[in-house]
Amino acid sequence: MMLLFWVLKYKLRCYNDYDILLFMGIIELEKRKILYKETLLCYQCAKCSSGCPLVEEMDMLPHVIIHLASLGLERSVLNSETIWICASCYACAVKCPNDIEIPNIMNRLKQMAADEGFEPKRKDVYKFHKVFTDDILRRGKVHELRIMIEYNLRLGKLFKNAMLAPKMLFKNKLHFIPPKAVKGFRKWVKKTS
Amino acid sequence: MEKDNIALYPGCSLETSSSHYLKSLRTVFSVLGIPFRIMDGWNCCGATSVKSIDYDLNLQLNHKNLALAEEQGIKELVVPCASCYHRLADAEYTLNKDEKLRTELNGKNDFTYKRQVKVRNILDFFVNVVGLDLISKNVKKPLSGLTVACYYGCLNTRVPPEQSFDTGEYPMTMDMIVKALGANVIDWSYKTDCCGASLFITVNSIAEKLVGKILKDAGLRRVDCVTVSCPMCQTNLDTKQKTIRSKNSIERPLPVPFITQLMGLAFGCNPKDLGLNKNFVPLKSILSSCSVVKNEDE
Repeated sequence: MMLLFWVLKYKLRCYNDYDILLFMGIIELEKRKILYKETLLCYQCAKCSSGCPLVEEMDMLPHVIIHLASLGLERSVLNSETIWICASCYACAVKCPNDIEIPNIMNRLKQMAADEGFEPKRKDVYKFHKVFTDDILRRGKVHELRIMIEYNLRLGKLFKNAMLAPKMLFKNKLHFIPPKAVKGFRKWVKKTS
Repeated sequence: MEKDNIALYPGCSLETSSSHYLKSLRTVFSVLGIPFRIMDGWNCCGATSVKSIDYDLNLQLNHKNLALAEEQGIKELVVPCASCYHRLADAEYTLNKDEKLRTELNGKNDFTYKRQVKVRNILDFFVNVVGLDLISKNVKKPLSGLTVACYYGCLNTRVPPEQSFDTGEYPMTMDMIVKALGANVIDWSYKTDCCGASLFITVNSIAEKLVGKILKDAGLRRVDCVTVSCPMCQTNLDTKQKTIRSKNSIERPLPVPFITQLMGLAFGCNPKDLGLNKNFVPLKSILSSCSVVKNEDE
């Protein structure tokens, strides 16, 4: 088995480990298909990286991530900051000549990182998304003040964005009372999940 | 325009942090003679957060919204919030394309989506359904003398090409509306640049840098205001503008009114009905230019 793997990898130059494992029948097609199909069309023009507004904050350029994903090496990017810094602005998707929806791939990578037990590299971003999602599941609508407070508590930085709160409260832009829950929402959540 | 089939999907932020957007929408709709109907029983679209954690949940939430809208006989679902629009349009596109997924969700979700509702962005609605003629007909105090930069943000126009009403690279719909109100519009290369969205709360330094770039360029071009149609963009450009301005050495304050607030001003509505007091950067400069026109009329 190992010999076959070695021959395929180094003698026949199949540098995609996943394709080798697939060929050898070790993993199933379903698993291999995860990001392969979407990223296959990428020919590395790097338009996504040149148009990305957040690229200077990233540790790995978007087109590199797509390249690694198309090679089946998506696990090597799960530890990057890039997938968390991406603000899903879709500037890359608009520019891509092959219509690859790069932010969707970033999202899949985020979910994959969570599924496989990777520590999110940017915990501040991950925790915000988590608090936001939990709050929606509570009543079907967002209670902004609670999200801000809960986020600060979970992050352990009590005074983050604290300067905003009095201004917002003064203008009646944040409410102490949560919005009315959507009728039958909790039941729906319980049933569908 | 069939007025009975139109309803609004407001989204969470229009009920709290951007209530002035909803208020001005209500006023503008009444001037244009469109019944102001809000969809019943809507739930949050999930925004960018839910899809980062659980894409399937995001699709289910929006499938429920679309199916509920159909149940209520809505044909045109007008969405003012860019983030909500992006999520709903994405769900519409995904579900229309993938029949297997649609039947699976219809069975699982208690609601049936039959592909009869059309999700429309507010800009799309104003230009293609209401029409620019009706808008310019209702203008009582033209905003002449006002130079406006139109800021679209990211998600208004960046939907899959089949859903899109405008180009993602250089959109023009908002420019057309503002021109119909009589104001000058500038050609602006920053109109679709990212404001940082939720990074404004999570990683402030990045978002402040991005907002700084946008405001600096607008300041250099000597515009009177930057108009937006996205509540998230409005919050980001408006709330912390004072600190961002001092960091980037921008002299003049730049008011950030919603497109509907500008429309209301041009229609001659009372500023109170447009929620102008809720903008952090006061809109004095705009109001004075409106009153200049008024004095000339007298």
